[in-house]
Amino acid sequence: MAAIELRNVRKAFGTVEVIGNVNLSIEDGAFVIFVGPSGSGKSTLLRLVAGLEDATAGQILIDGTDVTQLGPAERQLSMVFQSYALYPTKTVRQNMSFGLEVARLPKADIRTRVDAVADILKIGEYLDRKPRALSGGQRQRVAIGRAIVREPVAFLFDEPLSNLDAALRVEMRIEIAKLHQRLGATMIYVTHDQVEAMTLADRIVVLDRGSIQQVGTPMELYQRPANLFVAQFIGSPKMNVLAVRPDGSALVFADGRRADLGVSFPPRLAHVGFRPEEVQLLSIGQGHLQGKVEVVERLGSDTFAHVGLGELGIITARMPGNVLSISPGQPVGLGLSGNQLHQFSRDGSRLS
Amino acid sequence: MSIVGKNASSAKFRRNRWLLTGLLSLYFIYTFMPLFYVITAATKSNQDLFSTFGLWFAEDFSLWENLATLFTIQDGIFLKWMANTAYYSSVSAVGAALFSTLAGYAFAKYRFFGKKLMFALVLGAVMIPQTALVIPMFLMLSSMGLTNTSLAVILPSLVFPPGVFLMWAYIDDAISNELIEAGRMDGAGEVHIFSSIAFRMLMPGFATVLILAFVASWNNYFLPLVMLNKPDMFPITVGLAQLYSTAISGTGGVLLFTVVMTGALVSIVPVIAAFLIMQRFWQGGLGAGGVKA
Amino acid sequence: MTERQLKTRPRNRVIVNKKIAPYLFLAPFALLFVAFLIVPLIYAADISLYKKAMVGGVKFVGADNYIKAFADPKFWEGIGVLFKFAFLQIPIMIGTALLFALILDSGVLWAKAFFRISFFIPYAVPAVIATLIWSYLYGPAYGPIGQTARLLGFEAPDFVSQEWILGSIVNIAQWQFMGYNMIIYFAALQAIPGDLEEASVVDGASAFTFATRIKLPMIVPTIIVTVVFSIIGSLQLFTEPFLIQNMARSVINSNFTPNIYAYNLTFVAQQPNYAAAISFLLGGVIAVVSYVFMLATNQRIDR
Repeated sequence: MAAIELRNVRKAFGTVEVIGNVNLSIEDGAFVIFVGPSGSGKSTLLRLVAGLEDATAGQILIDGTDVTQLGPAERQLSMVFQSYALYPTKTVRQNMSFGLEVARLPKADIRTRVDAVADILKIGEYLDRKPRALSGGQRQRVAIGRAIVREPVAFLFDEPLSNLDAALRVEMRIEIAKLHQRLGATMIYVTHDQVEAMTLADRIVVLDRGSIQQVGTPMELYQRPANLFVAQFIGSPKMNVLAVRPDGSALVFADGRRADLGVSFPPRLAHVGFRPEEVQLLSIGQGHLQGKVEVVERLGSDTFAHVGLGELGIITARMPGNVLSISPGQPVGLGLSGNQLHQFSRDGSRLS
Repeated sequence: MSIVGKNASSAKFRRNRWLLTGLLSLYFIYTFMPLFYVITAATKSNQDLFSTFGLWFAEDFSLWENLATLFTIQDGIFLKWMANTAYYSSVSAVGAALFSTLAGYAFAKYRFFGKKLMFALVLGAVMIPQTALVIPMFLMLSSMGLTNTSLAVILPSLVFPPGVFLMWAYIDDAISNELIEAGRMDGAGEVHIFSSIAFRMLMPGFATVLILAFVASWNNYFLPLVMLNKPDMFPITVGLAQLYSTAISGTGGVLLFTVVMTGALVSIVPVIAAFLIMQRFWQGGLGAGGVKA
Repeated sequence: MTERQLKTRPRNRVIVNKKIAPYLFLAPFALLFVAFLIVPLIYAADISLYKKAMVGGVKFVGADNYIKAFADPKFWEGIGVLFKFAFLQIPIMIGTALLFALILDSGVLWAKAFFRISFFIPYAVPAVIATLIWSYLYGPAYGPIGQTARLLGFEAPDFVSQEWILGSIVNIAQWQFMGYNMIIYFAALQAIPGDLEEASVVDGASAFTFATRIKLPMIVPTIIVTVVFSIIGSLQLFTEPFLIQNMARSVINSNFTPNIYAYNLTFVAQQPNYAAAISFLLGGVIAVVSYVFMLATNQRIDR
């Protein structure tokens, strides 16, 4: 298995810089997820690791060896593509064997390996079929199987589940998690789906506009987002953010409203954030801010209340279970906890 | 295609269907009439050709005599022309399709220096009038003593810019970048990826270009007209045109009029048959270029 | 799993990397392209600057041939014929091809596949043979068109007369190429997703409205490309008039179209230098016309 390290990696297409000076080290056996909105450079970063794109500057190391100049296969990585990229004219077996044939492994070895992997992924019965005769989920398994047979030092996944329907996506997500436990291999996984990121990753790398915003475990990102971007990207529904000015132990909101929270705030504070479960819905007149419930969403397990605060916009509150006592149009008070507030400066970075 | 909202039983739909089928049938008569004329003309004696109604058969059925004449005039030169045509067209078509495919693949699937310029050159090439190319080519080849050879007809036909354009469009759609990258991840070299993964996937496009290049070469009149002056080197087009001018100038005798039509019939029947058999290819492939455009 | 089995394997085949590969794939075509396109063009450009002298070979005359061609009424007559031909032939052919493609695509008729295939068949007939067949059909005495007219009690016009010749050539081109364009439009129409049609039905559009207001605009880019190719093709007119010349010497002279003019200049008048200038000038006209057309249509789309 392999540890992967990126040093000062840059990538530009012509004059457009898509990756700007990325430094990252990935531990051996880790499951790392690159997450970010479209255009954040997450796929490009993965393709740089794969060797499918040449870095404009910087170094990529696998187990301490500089592989920046090596081609994709020489880096001994396997990749699972978004479209699966199965060779349509080859059977499943031929698809899985192709890389080994290129590497000129003995025929018998190839057979054994393919059979063993097919067994793990339960695709043994499809080995003689062409990809077009398979369902989406089966194709996905074949794509993963093709990656596994090569016994790579690390696996790369480029949004592998985005072409599957919701139910199958959850199922394959669990499969991939099991596979990681079983193989113990380093895996780098790109997705725009933060639920996938939270559930699968040991560590998440959040990217935006070609640079790393934060690297950390899912819980670190959730609990201590390094900046406003991460705060609002991780978590669903999004974190509520309000622009504020500190005034001693009180906050002055954009529309002049004032709330005394009884804790002292740093002078550089410009935004406060709180997750939907970090705000309390109270009777009108109580708490720190007054508003009106505009929409109530009932999921059974949770109830979301979207509360209008006039000029300040709408904030979302989450309550466990089905809370029958709230309804649209109802005036409510909101209770915040001064200690739990995420505090951000004017430039969006976290103030601890 | 769905036919939502087209109620097949409605009176309006039925009326329109009669109307449109009728309209296309009229055009079909127009399309078919010349072909039918070739058939009737080829079955007539030269005398009947001028004295009987053109769009029906004469009482005497002279097809066999006409065929016999066709294949025996000038020591069976027509057979030679057919062989020449088959040779020029098939070699040109295979070569043109192969080179177009390779070039189209490069344009569709790689970023490289000079790509835009080269692609513009290839597209611009279709605007060059034949005379601007063929006449200087003739002057050059004749100074090298290469006129009157099959190479003089075949080599220029290997350059088939529309084929490059069509293959570019086809490959861009049919082969995803991810597929090629999967090949790279599997360790295959670029040539290996092309030969063992891509080529089989682009067969429908290849077949279309093959057909188009074949037609272009078999259709070509100007190039062999200029390059060849030995009758036994002629393709059918040049040969038949020559037979026709001798017929009309009266030097070859009136007999030749039916022979020209018999020759036309004999030469288009196999090509039309091939078109009918291969329709799956040209129907699919021609679309690719059109849709892309 | 921990050993690096793949890396240790010796590589003894040549691996072409992706920087070199495109040039390798392009090489055969590029080589022939240079040899049979670029070089002849340069050669033609070169000889167009010379002139056969009365005594002793050729002499350099610079742009003289072009100046002469510019003032040559025979060249401009030919260009005039081409323009008349293109203005007549292209709208008729594109119009019918579009109409038939829309009808076939609408599905409101019987025997769709039959019409689609039979209309395309003339494309397999070489221009030479098509012209031969039609010139028989045009024959005043023995041609079936004339015969039929006489049967109905009137005289068919002389199809190869000064007045009719252009129409007769337009007809041959229409017969040969309508189906080819129709197939291309049909494929483009078929590529339009079906849910668009459902949406327009929901919006209450008739099949006719849908075809003309929604489908037609969607294939405009395809139409533009086919028109450009038709312009290029028509302006190179050679084979049809060259063969019909046999039966209409008085109508089709040695400079009927610029291509015929260049051919005759080279092989009859022995003036390849001047012919080269004529060909280049024709190429220039083709490029300008195609470019102007593309410019005009592009602006329309952007609006």
